[in-house]
Amino acid sequence: MTASLLLALPLLGALAALWVGRERSVVPSVLVAATNTALGAWLAFAAHAPSGRFWHGYVAVDPTSRLFVLLVNLIFLGVGGHVWSRVREFPELAEGIERVVALALSFLAAANLAILSNHLVVGWLALEATSLAAAPLIARPGSPAAVRAAWGYFLFSSAGLGLTSLGFACLARSVEHAGMEPSFFLDQLRFLVATRPDAWREVGLAFVLLGYGTKLGLAPMYSWLPDAYDEAPPAVTAMLAGVQFNCALVGLFRILEIYRAGEPRLVSVTLVGLGLASMAVSTFSIIATHNYKRLLAYASINHGGVIAIGLGLGGQATYGLVLYVVSNAFIKAILFLSAGKIDDHYRTKDMREVSGLIKDLPASGLFLTVGTFALLGFPPFGSFLGELLILSELMRARYVIVFVGFCALLTVTFVATGRSIFPMIWGPSSHPGPPQGLFTAPVKLVFVVALVTMGVYLPHAVSALFVAVAASLGGS
Amino acid sequence: MTSLLTAYLLVLLLPLFVASWRVSLAGLSLQGILMAWMVAAHHPAPTADIAVSMLDLALVRGVLVPFALGRVLRAQRRPVREDVIPPNMLSWGVVAGLVMLAFQCASWLHPDPNGEHLQIAVAATGVLLGLFVLASQTGTFSQAVGALRLENAIALFELGSTGHVPLGLRVGQVAVFAGTLLMYAHFVRRIRPAAATVASGRLL
Repeated sequence: MTASLLLALPLLGALAALWVGRERSVVPSVLVAATNTALGAWLAFAAHAPSGRFWHGYVAVDPTSRLFVLLVNLIFLGVGGHVWSRVREFPELAEGIERVVALALSFLAAANLAILSNHLVVGWLALEATSLAAAPLIARPGSPAAVRAAWGYFLFSSAGLGLTSLGFACLARSVEHAGMEPSFFLDQLRFLVATRPDAWREVGLAFVLLGYGTKLGLAPMYSWLPDAYDEAPPAVTAMLAGVQFNCALVGLFRILEIYRAGEPRLVSVTLVGLGLASMAVSTFSIIATHNYKRLLAYASINHGGVIAIGLGLGGQATYGLVLYVVSNAFIKAILFLSAGKIDDHYRTKDMREVSGLIKDLPASGLFLTVGTFALLGFPPFGSFLGELLILSELMRARYVIVFVGFCALLTVTFVATGRSIFPMIWGPSSHPGPPQGLFTAPVKLVFVVALVTMGVYLPHAVSALFVAVAASLGGS
Repeated sequence: MTSLLTAYLLVLLLPLFVASWRVSLAGLSLQGILMAWMVAAHHPAPTADIAVSMLDLALVRGVLVPFALGRVLRAQRRPVREDVIPPNMLSWGVVAGLVMLAFQCASWLHPDPNGEHLQIAVAATGVLLGLFVLASQTGTFSQAVGALRLENAIALFELGSTGHVPLGLRVGQVAVFAGTLLMYAHFVRRIRPAAATVASGRLL
């Protein structure tokens, strides 16, 4: 019932948005996101919440789906609140908003299905559906650059998911060659993979990792990400970075839950390699860019790299990884939503033309400061603890070269980001304006509180959920 | 089956050397039709699964793909010439190398040289050439062709499996593919190639 509601409510909300039209269409999106977040919280923490398999086994409620359903719906609620505030503040933004809301709610329904699915093909279809809904949201009318970025996003999504599908077919052949009846149900696959590893499984796993890596924006197939994150409206960028990223990550988690034990070396080498390469390309791009929205996009690639390395390591890094992933979702939402406000005020994305943010736009300046410190992995944020646990596992597992590369890239990223962002915040005031409306601040404040809470004190129920997700990934 | 796969291989290769969007679309269409023919030859008794496969291969890939993209290109009055890969010796050499690599991979994955071996080799060729087209082109239409070649190669590879996806999900896959195709057509329509610069001034 709960799973059905999580999927049905956004679809009904989408229809309601189209029906009521104009600025009132934003209300259903906020109501749906709030209801879904409440359902997600109940599913995650209530003692009597349902768990197990539903819908003939196609949907599963387990620790991973509990955590991520809550996370993506909470991020979506934040984005919905942001959009509502913006439309109230600037009524001209209500033009055509019902189409945006309907697509965003369809995106949410597909995202929930991708997370809850217990079947590889269902999860794949849902992820593809999120791309179909998101591409028109990136392609703003009247902006050829945005249309090009949307095309790049959609093309890479299709190619990446195509490779994933090819990987699934190879994995099925591996089971077939072992003389068994293949299945795409995750719980059944766990038993089927106990067979002897063969070339089909290795090739299949490599394709799946590369395919999901493309969706996560990992090197070498990352070039769509900076364009899409830069050109999309800030609310859409926050949705891509905070919701879709996590849906693709859940797909990768599911594969690793099944195949890591059988192919530990392949998984480890591929993911650590992709992660380090992503960190390297993003670091050099951060140094080169003067566009603050692109800088945040490159930082997202960097974070994707850290996550891939954490996943490749497994073991004790897994708990840190979960902490890092959840923190990362909040950080990206705060930063991209703040970047939108800054762009709106200064009418430029060039960092050299933005100065004195803390005086010109105190609230946005403050959120950008907090978000940047969290982005760079400072205490007391959850990202600090997550990164620390991943680094310590690197040393424990004797990945010395990776450790050195990781630390070097992190240091350069730290310096390059600070050198670019901090003058924007504390430089001389360059564009004083009327006092800033604080409509969107509560949303970001909630995310900041969540970030600090994860670094300072995790309530037992949340910590237990994180431990359960880490354990399902083979962590300790 | 072997003759159909050989024909498929030719349909994969020929459009790469003929720089025309009509030939590219005809190639994609023929790929779908040839796959539908393979299904019909392999499963003479019709079932719901086969019907969905035929709908996907013959109707969507064989007819809808050239129709949707061709309509956009005709409306834009695109010039006949449209390179799928850069027209030079290096590209052609890479294509030859990729075909050999695909056959080597197939021998490694499936050492038994029966019909399935050829199917895997041709599908692998399709995957590698699709990725090559995607990597070497910047034009919207050429990139869409690369992605569709990749999708067709995956479909050819999946023909060899014994069908483990329930009917409802197969219908979902077909719907998502059709949606993807329409989105490609939408972007090809919206992103027009830069207009050729008209030379000004006299020569000599």
